[in-house]
Amino acid sequence: MALELVLGIITFLAVAALLGILIYQLMCLSDLEFDYINPFDSASRINKLVVPEIALHVGLSCLYLVFGYWLIFLINVPLIYYHGRLYLEHRHLVDVTEIFNSLNREKMYRLIKLAFYILLFFLAIYRLVAASVHALLDNEHAG
Amino acid sequence: MQQQGGNPGLPAEFPHSSTSPAQQRPPYTVPGSIPRPGPPSWQGPPPGTQFRPQGVPQPSSGAPPTLANALSNPISPFQSGSYQRPVAGRPPGPPAVFQPSQPSLGAPPPFQPSTFGGSSQADGSWSPVSNPNSASVGFSPKASSTGGSPFSNVSPVPSTFGGSIPPPPTSSSLGSGFPISSAYPASSTPVTSFPRPPQVASGPGARPPFYAPGPYNLPPTGHQFSSAPPQQPPPSSFGPSPPSFGAPPQFGTPTPPQFGGTAPSQGYYSTAPPPPPPITPGIYAGEGQQVGSYGAPPLAGGYGGNLQQPAQGLVEDFQSLSLVPLPGSVESAVDPGMLPRPLDSPDDVKSTGTMNCNPRYLRLSTNAMPNSHSLVARWHLPLGAVVHPLAEAPPGEEVPVVNFVGSSIVRCRRCRAYINPYVMFTDGGRRWRCNVCVLLNEVPIEYFCSLDENGRRRDADERPELSCGSVEFVAQTEYMVRPPMPPVYFFLIDVSISAVKSGMLKVAAETIKATLDKLPGFPRTQIGFLTFDSMLHFYNLKSSLMQPQMMVVADLDDPFLPLPDDLLVNLSESRVVVDALLDSLPSLFEKNISIESALGPALKATFMIMSQLGGKLLVFQSTLPSLGVGRLKLRGDDPRIYGTEKEYLLRGSEEQFYKHMAADFSKYQIGVNIYAFGDRYTDLASLGTLAKYTGGQVCYYPGFQAYLHGEKFSYELARDLSRETAWEAVMRIRCGKGIRFSSFHGHFMLRSSDLMALPAVDCDKAFSMQLTLEDTLLTTNTVYFQVALLYTSSTGERRIRVHTMATPVVSDLGEMYRAADVGAIASIMSRLGVDKSMQSKLEDARQTTQQRLHRSLREYRNMFAVQHRTSNRLLFPESLRLLPLYTLAICKNLALRGGYGDTTPDERSAMGFEIMTMSISRLLKLLYPAFFRIDEFLLQGGKGETDFMMGLPKPVPLASERLDPRGAFLLNDGLRFVLWLGKVLPDEFVKQILGPEFAYSPDLSKVALQEHDSILSKRLVAMLRELRKMNPAVYQQCILLRQGEQPREGNLVLGNLVEDQTGGLSGYADWIVQTYRHISQKAS
Repeated sequence: MALELVLGIITFLAVAALLGILIYQLMCLSDLEFDYINPFDSASRINKLVVPEIALHVGLSCLYLVFGYWLIFLINVPLIYYHGRLYLEHRHLVDVTEIFNSLNREKMYRLIKLAFYILLFFLAIYRLVAASVHALLDNEHAG
Repeated sequence: MQQQGGNPGLPAEFPHSSTSPAQQRPPYTVPGSIPRPGPPSWQGPPPGTQFRPQGVPQPSSGAPPTLANALSNPISPFQSGSYQRPVAGRPPGPPAVFQPSQPSLGAPPPFQPSTFGGSSQADGSWSPVSNPNSASVGFSPKASSTGGSPFSNVSPVPSTFGGSIPPPPTSSSLGSGFPISSAYPASSTPVTSFPRPPQVASGPGARPPFYAPGPYNLPPTGHQFSSAPPQQPPPSSFGPSPPSFGAPPQFGTPTPPQFGGTAPSQGYYSTAPPPPPPITPGIYAGEGQQVGSYGAPPLAGGYGGNLQQPAQGLVEDFQSLSLVPLPGSVESAVDPGMLPRPLDSPDDVKSTGTMNCNPRYLRLSTNAMPNSHSLVARWHLPLGAVVHPLAEAPPGEEVPVVNFVGSSIVRCRRCRAYINPYVMFTDGGRRWRCNVCVLLNEVPIEYFCSLDENGRRRDADERPELSCGSVEFVAQTEYMVRPPMPPVYFFLIDVSISAVKSGMLKVAAETIKATLDKLPGFPRTQIGFLTFDSMLHFYNLKSSLMQPQMMVVADLDDPFLPLPDDLLVNLSESRVVVDALLDSLPSLFEKNISIESALGPALKATFMIMSQLGGKLLVFQSTLPSLGVGRLKLRGDDPRIYGTEKEYLLRGSEEQFYKHMAADFSKYQIGVNIYAFGDRYTDLASLGTLAKYTGGQVCYYPGFQAYLHGEKFSYELARDLSRETAWEAVMRIRCGKGIRFSSFHGHFMLRSSDLMALPAVDCDKAFSMQLTLEDTLLTTNTVYFQVALLYTSSTGERRIRVHTMATPVVSDLGEMYRAADVGAIASIMSRLGVDKSMQSKLEDARQTTQQRLHRSLREYRNMFAVQHRTSNRLLFPESLRLLPLYTLAICKNLALRGGYGDTTPDERSAMGFEIMTMSISRLLKLLYPAFFRIDEFLLQGGKGETDFMMGLPKPVPLASERLDPRGAFLLNDGLRFVLWLGKVLPDEFVKQILGPEFAYSPDLSKVALQEHDSILSKRLVAMLRELRKMNPAVYQQCILLRQGEQPREGNLVLGNLVEDQTGGLSGYADWIVQTYRHISQKAS
């Protein structure tokens, strides 16, 4: 049971990090839109975090798989597939030369991902709470 | 340029350079710019009364004192329904009719196009006569024999001339036309056959202040129209044939043959003195302003009968083409002779107002801004602008330079717009209201001047910025983040075996050497060289050396600079070394056998050298980059990819390296021009990316051979090096509240949502942009556009070129159509097409373009469908009469044509890049090339070399029926000349043109046109020289071609005959029918 609690904490932190990355990228995009930063900075800031985000998400999904949470893993499969396709086609990074033309698309793409991660976030919180309650109850039983 | 502070928009991280000290400008004052301190001696009018610009013609009614009134004035007539007679879009003066026509064209033997077999034999029965009725008799039987080829009834013989009076050799053909027009009772003399609208006599002064004179106004001559109809036969869209028409009309033309049959060969609209159309049902039934020379009041036919209430403003102002069913078929057809063509109305757009900038700098797709979203949604055509900020001005019209000595440039506090002729001074001249954002600004004390009784500044005439639409401000230090850079030219030259073998290296070195004296910016100009094959060769050009030192770097993975400096040197100091290098370059690599090309590492090394200063990088590439980073694959032209979702990938950059490199180049103010020479696939789509994002251009010389293309390459390189270039530039276009520029098309990189970064821009680059409405409803009467280009001139001065334009806001779609600018629309549409082809299939790009045409014409038709009979007529506004043709031409352009096998991917990409930078006039030339017969033209006249130069031959429609095997034709598309030699052209002629050694050579692809010692050859060369002078942007090489020489004939000539059925797209006449069908289907 302690394992489950550890897993809950790890997933919670991972999803929170994903959310943080997404929000940061969205901020970069909207800064760009309002002319607070130039496209070179904006693109490099966003691109710096693209691969870590994908890796984190894949790692998280693997964790779910390893621990046998099939359902949550299946929920994540489409996004893994999409990420993989983007990566293989070299389209995962923001194109600095066309960033203004693709601004709306990039924002929409990230907003949808944001919604998905928020869903994961709630699931993670639920799991964390459930795990800690179980752990607590087990402790009481044991005690 | 940027809104925060005075930052001119250069990236803040831009490295400061110590090598280019700021030059001290000599203090220079524009006359009148001396501030006039002191209190105003005269208290200006109350705030409501502002100055009225002097250039604005006074309205005939009591002059409204406010500028707002003055500006809204051109609109108000439409609101009230009383229209002013336009100046009809062409200057009052003799119509083109009176130009000396080409008599040589006038009397060729009737030509029998081999492509159409026997059907055209009917031309033989064609007896030109001066009587319209008898002519029509001759016309009909022939027509019936040529059902399949609508053009073949068109004889090169202008019967109006040819039959009645043999065409005199010179311009006296004018006279020969008169008797014919006098045959018509409707106009007894030619003079009366061109009645001018009454206001025309009063001169341009009657024009509204800043409005396109032509299309916007409705003629009061509508009264004439309305009085005429009752005497006319009942209108019918099927064309009530005059009784003398022996046969039913075959070509959808109920018109008499003077139009359909005879005039076309001479240019459909103007060559022959246009006889007034006795009955022209539906054909240009509008006032025919540009068609123009039809003098007689248009008759009832086109008006559908219910047009007799002109007082209510129901006068039709559209034009139309009638479609008439072919007998024995359900198909309809349109008379090819009636189709609008840009043959003799060159694209000259009049300035739309005295205070607007010249249209050569800025053109809007419609000179009437829609005031609401719903109106924009109904306009279906691109709504935007084409900007050509550094367009070459003819002598005497240069942009005036203004220097605010000791004070900063007057700009609006909020929107940062520059002061311009449309600002309003109030409060006795102490404040000014920004016309773009209507903010009230203080006038700087040193800029103060009192106002006169009209509220106009007393010094307005002396200050160019208050009286001219285009000015150039000398920018102060707050517009610089570093000292103005010197002009920098860096040459990155491929020296692999193909570059040496083709002679490219030699031509390049010789041209650069010859142009060194013409490089702008002496004595600050800097120059550097790097050559590469499988290694990188650097050249130490230190001025103390006698000979350049070559250093070879073989490390391609991580290229480094062998020297910290002296790779980029001051030209005037190191001139001797540079000369020595250029002399030795060709011989140095003469024996080079390397076939590899390490372009990517070379670019990285160049970037390291240039990033200190920026400048212009010229890349000469003759093979596919094969080594190091950025190597490209032979992607080939896989036929299986065409038509699939992945097709667009062929036209995009394959390697991300080039995009990243382009972004870096743009960031460090390096503009890249690509010169590509490969005789095989060079992947221009990837290489061109460098130019695309750095404001550069792509020059492609497929299969370069020095003896063939050397002259062209040499000219274009020399022009690139010597033309006036604006360095480290940024451009922004501002517009009034409520509208916004949303998408941009051209070669640049966006640095913020509306700031274009242009590291090096010159007079041959144009940009286009599209507008969106932000507010749901525009409440102002006028919108202002202001283009500002901040750049460093070659002399080291920071300058801001500002073009200002005012445009009325309208609430009626019809007015938008009337004020449409077909040139700007075609330019934006072609750029959109090219952009689209980068993201989807060619087929999709063509369809999107076509759909725009359909939607807009449908919308236009719906505006009139209620009031007028519109069946079997394709309606279009007078201003857009050429839109169907240009749309067709865009779809048939090399960039969008066909699919696999129609052209090579490289040529397609090169054309795409070309279109994205072309100015409007050059684009229109490309879309509808000039095509004329030159054999008779060259043979005419006396014995001198140039005394035949009586003007150029008359262009003929771009249709293969025009090609006469007995003639020689020249196709001029603004990029090259193609000289087509007919099969049965007299041997003597060919021998004189080509010279004896090539006269019988079957393959002319390797033959360059040279001047021979014969009168014909001299004349031809002189003629081409004259034509080239008109188009200095490129060197138009003359390509020789014999009839039947496939596949070159197909690629060079037949594919460019846009009126033919080529490339899977229909011919012009069929295109019109298709368009009509599409429109009427959806409408019903």
